Amino acid sequence: MSDQRSRIEIAIERALRQDRISRRNFLGQTAKGGVALGALMTLPGLIAACSPSGSGSVTLEWLNWPAYIDIDEESAPNPTNYPSINAFIAQTGIGVNYNEGLLDNADFYHQVQPDLSNGNKTGWDLVTPGGWVVQRMADLDYLEPLDHSKLPNWTANAADWAKGNWYDPENTHSAWWQGGTTGIAYDPALTERELTKFDDLLDPAFAGRVGAFSDMRDMFGLTLLSLGVEPANATIDDVTAAQQKLVTANDAGQFRGYYDNSYYDALAAGDLVASVAWSGDITQMRLADNPNVQFIIPEDGGMRWSDNMAIAKGSTEHIDETHQLIDYWYSLDAAVLLSEYIGYFSGVAGVKDRILEDASAARDAGDNETADYLEAIAPVVEPSEDQLANTYPDKQMSEDEDQQWSDLFLEVLGG
Amino acid sequence: MGARRWVPYLLLGPGVAWLLIFFAIPMGYMAILSLSEGTLGRGFDLTWNFAIYPEVIGQYGELFLRSIFYALMTTLITLLIGYPMAYTIAFRGGRFKNVLLLIVVLPFFVSFVIRTLNWRMVLSDNGLVFGTLKDLGVLDPAFHFLATPASVIFGLTYNFLPFMILPLYVALEKIDRRLIEAAGDLYAARGSAFWRVTFMLSLPGVVAGSLLTFIPAVGDFINAEIIGAGNPDSIMIGNVIQFKFLNSNDYPAAAALAFVLVIGTMLLVAIYTRAVGAERLTE
Repeated sequence: MSDQRSRIEIAIERALRQDRISRRNFLGQTAKGGVALGALMTLPGLIAACSPSGSGSVTLEWLNWPAYIDIDEESAPNPTNYPSINAFIAQTGIGVNYNEGLLDNADFYHQVQPDLSNGNKTGWDLVTPGGWVVQRMADLDYLEPLDHSKLPNWTANAADWAKGNWYDPENTHSAWWQGGTTGIAYDPALTERELTKFDDLLDPAFAGRVGAFSDMRDMFGLTLLSLGVEPANATIDDVTAAQQKLVTANDAGQFRGYYDNSYYDALAAGDLVASVAWSGDITQMRLADNPNVQFIIPEDGGMRWSDNMAIAKGSTEHIDETHQLIDYWYSLDAAVLLSEYIGYFSGVAGVKDRILEDASAARDAGDNETADYLEAIAPVVEPSEDQLANTYPDKQMSEDEDQQWSDLFLEVLGG
Repeated sequence: MGARRWVPYLLLGPGVAWLLIFFAIPMGYMAILSLSEGTLGRGFDLTWNFAIYPEVIGQYGELFLRSIFYALMTTLITLLIGYPMAYTIAFRGGRFKNVLLLIVVLPFFVSFVIRTLNWRMVLSDNGLVFGTLKDLGVLDPAFHFLATPASVIFGLTYNFLPFMILPLYVALEKIDRRLIEAAGDLYAARGSAFWRVTFMLSLPGVVAGSLLTFIPAVGDFINAEIIGAGNPDSIMIGNVIQFKFLNSNDYPAAAALAFVLVIGTMLLVAIYTRAVGAERLTE
C-alpha cells in the first residue's frame, strides 16, 4: 500500500533509487551492502533537502518527487546541488527552493485539498503531480491556467506524447514533467521461460513468487487490458471482472504481496521471479543491481503515466517567474542535462538524439564508461512508436467512480 | 482563602486543555464524520447514518479479529522474551544494569524505517538468515518468511519489545529482595517463591507492558506493509483504515472503523485489567 506508507520510508526508498541513478558510482557494483550503505549516505541529503538555493529576490517553492532531478555527485552525500536548477538560477536570477516532498499522489491531494477548497495558499509556487490529480484539481478549479504566450520553448519543443493528454487535452493547466510506463519485469533465469503477457504472471509455476502493485490505477489497468478492456473505457462491470480475476489469483496464492517501491529489492534479490514494474526502475536495476531482469510491455497492453508541472490557484504571486521555470525545462539543453541523469520519458522532442550524440562524443574522447551509460539510457528517455501504440492512459474518473474502484481494489488488497 | 480552592483546578488546566484540544475535540469531530455522508469534493453532511457501524463491522470483522490475534500473539511473545531479559537485568545486572538497559533501547535510536528496511534485507528469501539455512539444507529452497502473517507478528514483536521490557524492569527492580529470602526461609521452593512472590509483585509491570504493547500493535499498519509486503492474507485493520482515508476518500467509513477499533480496544483492556486487577497498574 504505497499510497499510505510513512513518508520517510518512501523517501528513503526513493533515496536508494537515487543512488542507483548515480550510476557512475554504482557501475559494476552489485552487492546489496552497497545499496544499504547508499541509503545511509543519502540520509543527510534527505534531511538537508529543503535548503534553499538561489539568491534572487524571488524564490520559487517547487514541490516535486524525490529522485527526479540531476544531482552534482561531487556534492554527495549532501546532494542539494542541482546543475540544471543552478543553470536556471544563473540565467534568470530567480531563486528556486527545490523540495522533494511529493511522495504520493493521493497524499499530495489530501495535503493541498483543504487549503484549496477554502481559497488558501498551498505554499508551493509549482507542483508536479500525476495526471489524475491534475484532472481532479482542474475540475475543481484548483489550478491557475497556463499562459502559453509565456511558454515559447514549450510551444516550440514539447513532444507529441507530452501534449494533449487525457487529463488536460489542451494543456490548459499543466505541462509534462516526466513520464514512463508500467509493465512486467522478470528474471528469465528464474522463470525459465519467456513472459509476454499479463496472464503469464498467473502461471501456477510462479505461485507465491510474483509481485503485484498496490497502486490501484496501474494494477486494475493491466488487469483490464488482459481482459481486453481499455482502462479509459472501463465500466464498473469491467472493473468488477478485473477484481474477480485478481481475487482468484490471491486465492491461489499467486501474488506474494501488493508492493509499493519495495518490489524493486524483492525482484533484484530474486525473491520474486516476476513482478508488475515501472520501466525506469528496471533500466536502473539492469545497470546497478541485476542485469538479468527484463522489462516488457505486455502484448495485451501496458500503462502509461506522467507527472506534470502545474500552478495551484492563488498560491503564488510569482506567476510569471513560475512560467519561466516551466518553460526552462523545455529548452533542449536543460532537458538533456536532466534526462541523462534521471532516464524517464522527457517531454521535449529531440532529447534522445542529443544523448546519442553525447554518447558518441564521449566514445571519441575515450570515455567508454560514460558512452556505454548514455547509450543505455538514450532509448528510455522517450517512448518508442511501439510503446505508444501499446500503452494506455488511466481512466478519467469522477470522485464517486474513484471511490467505487477503490473499494473494489481494497478487496483485492485483502480488505 | 477562596483563591486556594481554585489552585488544584488551575494546576489541572494544562492537562485538561491538552486532552480537550488533542483528544476530545478530534474524537468528537471524528464521531460526527463517521455519521456523515458525502464525498471529499462535495463535502460531508451529517445525516446520523448509524448504519455505517454495523456495515463496517460486518464487512471487516474478520480483519478486526486478525489484528487482535496478531496483537495478542505479539504481546505474548514480547512477554516471553522480555520477562527473562528484564529479570536478568534487574536481579543479575549488578553494576551493568544501566549498560544492559541501554543495549535494549539502543537499536531504537536508529530510525524505525531503517531498521525495518534492514530486516527486509536480512530476512529475504536468500538473505543472511534463510539463505544460510537453505544452503545448509535445513530449509526447503522454496521457503519464504517475508510477506506472511508470521513475518508481520515478527515485525510487531521486534518493534514493541522495549515497551514490554522497560515497565517489567521497573516493576522487578523495586521488589524488596528480602521478601524472596523470606519465602525461602519459610521453605518455599525456588519455583514457588518466584511465582508467588516475584511474579506476583511484578504484575504491575506485566499489565503496563502488555497494554503498551497490545494497544499500539492492534492498530499498526506499517509492519503489514513493509515486512508483510501488502500480502492480502497478512494485512491488518490499520491498513484498511488508511486506505479508506487516503485512497477511497471514504472518510465516514474510515472514521467509523477507527472508532470501532478504539472502542473494541478499550473493551479488551477493561476486561484484561478487571481480570488482573486494575489497582495493580498504580501499585
